[in-house]
Amino acid sequence: MSVNKLRLISRKSPRLTTSSLTMGHQESQNPDNTNPLETRDEDFIERGDSDVLANNDDQDEHSESSQSHQGVDESDSSEDEVAPRNTIGDVPLEWYKDETHIGYDIAGRKITKKERRDKLDSFLASADDSKSWRKIYDEYNDEEVELTKEEIKHIRRLLKGKAPHAEFDPYAPYVDWFKWDDAKHPLSNAPEPKRRFIPSKWESKKVVEYVRAIRKGLIKFDKPKEEPRFYSLWGDDSSSADRTKHLAYIPPPKPKLPGHEESYNPSLEYIPTQEEINSYQLMYEEDRPKFIPKRFTSFRSIPAYENAVKDSFERCLDLYLCPRVRKKRINIDPESLKPKLPNKKDLRPYPFACYLEYKGHEGAVLSISVEPSGQWIASGSNDGTVRIWEVETGRCIRVWEIGEAVQHVAWNPLPARPILAVSAGADVFILNTGFGNVEEQKEIRKLLHIGTPASDDSDDMSSYLSWLQDEKHDCIRLRHYRTVSSVVWHRKGDYLSTLMPAGESRAVLVHQLSKRLTQRLPFKLHGLPVSLAFHPTRSIFFVVTKKNVRVYDMLKQKLIKKLETQLREASSIAVHPAGDNVIVGSREGKLRWFDMDLSSKPYQNLDCHGKDITNVAFHRSYPLFASCSDDGTAYVFHGMVYADLNENPRIVPLEILRGHTVTDGRGVLDCTFHPRQPWLFTAGADSTIKLYCH
Amino acid sequence: MGKPKHYRPPGKKKEGNAARYVTRSQAIKILQVSLSDFRKLCIHKGVFPREPKKKVKGNHHTYYHLKDVMYILHDPLLEKFREIRAYKKKIKKAKAKKNDELAKLLTSRAPSYKLDMVIRDRYPTFIDALRDLDDPLTMVHLFAMLPAIDRLKIEVKCIHNCRRLCHEWQAYISRAHKLRKVFVAVKGIYYQAEVDGQKITWLAPHARQQVLTDDIDFNVMLTFLEFYETLLGFVNFQLYHSINVKYPPILDPRLEALAADLYALSRYFDANYRASVQEPQVAGSSKSEQEQEESNLRLAQLQHQLPANEPGALMHLVQDASSEVEEDAATRDCKNLFRNKKFFLSREVPRESLLFVIPAFGGIVSWEGDGAPFSEADDSITHQIVDRPTQGHVYLSREYVQPQWVYDCVNARIILPTEPYTVGRDPPPHLSPFVDDEAEGYVPDYAKTIKQLQAAVKSDIKPLPGTGNDDLDSSQNMLAEGFINRTEAMEAAEKKRQMMLLEKQYHDELKMELQGVSRENKQNSENTESEEQSLPDVEEPIAEDPSRLMMSRRKRGLAKAIEIGKQRKKDHVEKLKERKRNIEAAQKSEKKHKKAQLS
Repeated sequence: MSVNKLRLISRKSPRLTTSSLTMGHQESQNPDNTNPLETRDEDFIERGDSDVLANNDDQDEHSESSQSHQGVDESDSSEDEVAPRNTIGDVPLEWYKDETHIGYDIAGRKITKKERRDKLDSFLASADDSKSWRKIYDEYNDEEVELTKEEIKHIRRLLKGKAPHAEFDPYAPYVDWFKWDDAKHPLSNAPEPKRRFIPSKWESKKVVEYVRAIRKGLIKFDKPKEEPRFYSLWGDDSSSADRTKHLAYIPPPKPKLPGHEESYNPSLEYIPTQEEINSYQLMYEEDRPKFIPKRFTSFRSIPAYENAVKDSFERCLDLYLCPRVRKKRINIDPESLKPKLPNKKDLRPYPFACYLEYKGHEGAVLSISVEPSGQWIASGSNDGTVRIWEVETGRCIRVWEIGEAVQHVAWNPLPARPILAVSAGADVFILNTGFGNVEEQKEIRKLLHIGTPASDDSDDMSSYLSWLQDEKHDCIRLRHYRTVSSVVWHRKGDYLSTLMPAGESRAVLVHQLSKRLTQRLPFKLHGLPVSLAFHPTRSIFFVVTKKNVRVYDMLKQKLIKKLETQLREASSIAVHPAGDNVIVGSREGKLRWFDMDLSSKPYQNLDCHGKDITNVAFHRSYPLFASCSDDGTAYVFHGMVYADLNENPRIVPLEILRGHTVTDGRGVLDCTFHPRQPWLFTAGADSTIKLYCH
Repeated sequence: MGKPKHYRPPGKKKEGNAARYVTRSQAIKILQVSLSDFRKLCIHKGVFPREPKKKVKGNHHTYYHLKDVMYILHDPLLEKFREIRAYKKKIKKAKAKKNDELAKLLTSRAPSYKLDMVIRDRYPTFIDALRDLDDPLTMVHLFAMLPAIDRLKIEVKCIHNCRRLCHEWQAYISRAHKLRKVFVAVKGIYYQAEVDGQKITWLAPHARQQVLTDDIDFNVMLTFLEFYETLLGFVNFQLYHSINVKYPPILDPRLEALAADLYALSRYFDANYRASVQEPQVAGSSKSEQEQEESNLRLAQLQHQLPANEPGALMHLVQDASSEVEEDAATRDCKNLFRNKKFFLSREVPRESLLFVIPAFGGIVSWEGDGAPFSEADDSITHQIVDRPTQGHVYLSREYVQPQWVYDCVNARIILPTEPYTVGRDPPPHLSPFVDDEAEGYVPDYAKTIKQLQAAVKSDIKPLPGTGNDDLDSSQNMLAEGFINRTEAMEAAEKKRQMMLLEKQYHDELKMELQGVSRENKQNSENTESEEQSLPDVEEPIAEDPSRLMMSRRKRGLAKAIEIGKQRKKDHVEKLKERKRNIEAAQKSEKKHKKAQLS
C-alpha cells in the first residue's frame, strides 16, 4: 500500500524537478524541495514498471509513441499507461546538450528537439496566456506539460509536508485486525504474577511518607493566609511612643543640599572657564572640586548622571561604616571668642605714638639705657660707638669710639653717680659721662682712677679678669677672658655683674666698683646662662639659663627658686619693680609672666611675636611692660600687680608698635622705659632709636 | 619592677573605653555571625561604628559600642539569620544528593524574616521615621530607574516594587500638596516636601539609562534597599491612612500598562474618596476573600468609568472635603499656585516629574498618549509644555513654555512671565531654591528679578526697571507687560502716573547708590593702598588685634578657622563676581563688534 502511494507521489516529480529549471515564474511558486536523486530512483522504478507494460504491447503501439513526440495532447490520465516517449534511455541529458536531436526513433532517424523559445517569446506567451504558469517544460521528454488544478493542489500539499490527497487521514483510529473474542488459547501461557494481586510496597511506603509529612504539617494543602504586608505600625496616636532605653541615636547627617552651581542651567558666572578647569588638574586630588558645573540649554539635552549609582553606594557605605559623632556646630561670632578686656582708654597712659627718632648711629643699635633721672639716654651700637642723647631734644651729646661692637650699655642706677658701664667684646668699660656737679665729678674721678694695676689679687683671678686703667677714655677697663654679652648694675650702684655666655663656671662675675673686687657666682649653673637681673629691692639675683630661671639669695648664698619657663630658649628677663613678678622673653617669640608667689610655672603665656624676643622691660612706676622682637615690632602691655595677694595680676595687651624696619633679619634689638614718664625707647637694627610717647 | 601604667588587678572589671567599646572583629565574635551577616544586621538595625575618645586597640580599628552589639545580640533577627543559614545548608545538601523533591519542598518552605519590628524599634514615632526618610527616598527613586540585572541580583520584582513605592509616595505628596521646592540639577531632580513639619529632600535621577560601574557592591545596596522598601511601605501606609485612603492602592490595570501610574493613583484617590462618601463600607469583613477580590476589581473598573475628561471636578470634590481639615498657609499657597490652569505635556517632556509637580500645586495636567484625561485639542488648556527647538502647530489660546518654567514658578511661588521660557529660547538660569543668597553673599541676577516680581505681586505694584543690565532690563520690561495684562482690570492710567513718579525716584536713588558705591570703593582701595605703603610687611591681619594674645590656644585656633572659612567664602564670591564681570565685558565687546560690522 505504501509502495503504491510512493509511486503515486513520485509520478510527476521527475518532470517537475527537471522542468523547474527552465520555467522561471513557475519556480517562484513552488521551489523544488524534492531530492533529485530520489526522484531519479523512483523514476527508474516507474520506468521499469512501464517497461513491462511496454514490452507487452510495444509492437503495436510503437508507431503511436513516436508520433506522440510531435504533438502531445494526451490527457493526464492516459499518461499512466503511455510509455515514456524518450528513446535515449537513462543517460544524462547533457550529452545531448549541444545536439539538435534527442534520441532516435525506431527507424533510426533522429528525433529532433523541439525548438526552444527565447525568453521574450516565453514572456509574451505567459502574458497572453493566463494559464501559462501551469505549463511546465519537461526536458527529459522534450515536451510541455500543463498541470491540472488537481495536480497543483497535490503539489501544494506536498510542499507543506502533508499527504498529497486531502482525503487521506494519517491519524485514523487503529482498527485491530485480530479478533480476540473467540480465541481459544491465550497468547502467553505464563501464570499471572503475584504482584498483580498485592498492593505495591513502595507505593505504600511513599504514601506513609506523605501521610506523615501531612500530619507533621510539612505539607500543607491550603496556602497560608497572607497577612497584609503593611499595617499601621505606629498607630494613629504618634505621641504614645515608648522610648527605647538604647544608646542615643545619632541621626546620619543629611546630604548637602545643592547650590546654584549644580543646576542643569546655572548662571553663567558659576561655570568655570577652561583655564580654571585645567588648573584643577594641578591641584591635589582631595582639593579638586568634585563637581564641575556645566550648562545645558534645554531639558532634553540633560544626560544621565554617570555617578548616580556610585554616589548612592558611597552614601550607603558612609551610613554603615563611618563612625558617627555628634558634633556641636555652633555659629560662633569670632568677636565672642575674644576675652573681655578692659577698655584701653581706661588704661592710659601708655606709649603708642612715635614721638622722636634719634639718628646718628651707623650700625644697628644693640643696646640702650636711660639715665635714672630720665634726662639722658645712652646707646651702644654695632659701629663701635657709644652715644649719649638728650631725651627731649634728640641731640647727641657725647660720642665714644670704643672700636668694637658695643653689646650692652647700662647707666648706674644712682643719680649721683652718672657713670656708664659698656660691654664691648671681652672688655667692660666704666665710662665717666661728665654729667653732674663738681663734687660728684670729683668723687667719680676718684672712683674711676686705678693707680697701679691690682696685682695683689690672687693669681687665679688675674687669669680671667683684670682691672685696668683705660687712658684713652679715662676710665676703668675690665678685661674678661671671653666676650661679655651683658652688664647689669646692682640697685645700690656699687656692684655690677657681667655675663660671659661662653665662660663656663666663670660665666657670671660680680664686681665691686669701690673695692675693685671680682667674685664669681658660687653656684653651678645648669645650662648656658643667657641673661641676668638683680632684684629691685632685695639681695636676690636672677640668672636665666636657656630653659630655667634660677633665683639666688646672695646673702644666704643659696638657690631659692627655679622657675620653669617651658621654653626652648629664653633670651631676656625683666623683674617687676615690686620684685614678685618676672617676665621672660624667648627666642620662639613667646613671653612668660611668672608670679613667683604663685608658682614656679608661668602665670600667663603670651605668644605675641613671630620671631625672637630680644628684650623685655618693666616700667619703674607705671603698670606697663614691653617686649621687643626681631620681627620689627614692640608690644606694650598693661601689667597691673595688686598689693592684695588674692588678686592675680591683670595683663592686657595694649599696643603693637611698628616703625623699625627689619634689616639683616633683625628688627628691634632693645627696649626700655623712661624712668618717670610712660615712654618707651626702642633701638632698632635700622640704626635708629625711637621714642614712643603717650 | 613598677606596675604597668594601666594596671588592672585580676578579678577587677574592665573600665572606661576598654570596657565600653569593642572592635569589629570582637563584635563578630560576640555575635557569632559571619561578616556579611554582621553587615546586614548593622544595616537593618542602624548600628554604626562610634568614635571612642581613647582607642584602646589602636587607631586602625573600627569600634562599636558594646551596647550596640548587645542591641544586635538581643534581636530576633539574629536568630532568624542563623536559622536561614542552617536551612540553606539543608537545601544544598538535598540538591547535592540529587533529592530534587526534597529540595523543592524545602525551598517552598524556606523561612523569611520581617523588618516591621526593627522599624518600630528604630523609629519609635512616625516623626522619627519621616526625619530619616531622605536616604530611603533617594535610593528607592534610583532603583526605580535601574534596569533589572540577573548578574547583580537586581530582580524585576524589586524594581517594580521601587517604582510602585515611588509613585505612591509622589501621589500622596501631590494630593496633599506637601511639595515645597523642586530643583533640576545635573544629578537629577531634587524635591523637597514638608510632611508633618519635617522637611524631606530627595533626589530622583533623570529618566535616562543609568551608568553601572564595576566598583559597586550591590549586596550592600540591596540590603539597604530591602530595609528602605519596607520602611517606605509602612510610611506610605501611615500617610494614606491619614487621608482615609486604603493602602496598598488598587490601580486601573489599563493605566498601569500605559505607565501612567501616577495618574492612575490620583484616580484611585478620587475613587476611594467617592466610595467612602457613598457607601462607607464597600468591602465588609463578612465577605469572603473572593468577593473582596471581586470588589477590588470592580473598584478598578469603577475608576475606569469615572468621567475622564473632568478630573478637575473630582478634585474640587476632594478639595472641598479636605478644606475642612486645617491647613497651614504654605499648603494653601502651594495649592493655589496653578489653580485654574490646565497643562498639556508634549511627548518629549519628562512626564513623570511634571505629572507629579503640577497637580501638587493645584494644576490640571494631561499628556500626549493613551489614557490621557484630555487631548491636545482641548480649548481650555492654558499652558502647553514643550521641549523642542520649534513648535509646528500653535494654538493661540495657550502659551507654549519650556518645562523649566514650571519649576521656576514653583520655587518662586508666583506665576512668572512666560516670555523668557518660550520654545526655542535659552531659558534664564535655573536657580537652586535651597540657597540663602544673602548668607552666601552673592545674589545672581535672576534671583533679584524674581524677588522684585514677588514683591510686585505682593504689593500689586508694577516692578520697576532695574539696573543698567540689558538682559535684566528686557526681562523686566517683559515682566511689566505681563503684569499689565494680568491687572488689566485695574485702572491703569492712575497707576501709571504713580509709577512714573516712583520710577523716577528709583532711578535717582539708583544713581546715587551707584555713585556712592563707587566712591566707597575708591576710598577702600585708597585705604588699602595707604595701609600697604605704611606697613609693608603685614603678614597676618589677624595679628593686628592685640586682644588675640589673651585668648587660649584653643580659642585662637577656632578664631583662625572661622577667619579662614570667611575668607574662603569671600574668595568664592569674588571669583563669581570676577567671572561675571568678564562675561559682561565679553558680551559688550561682542555687541560693539556687531554694531561695527553693521555700520
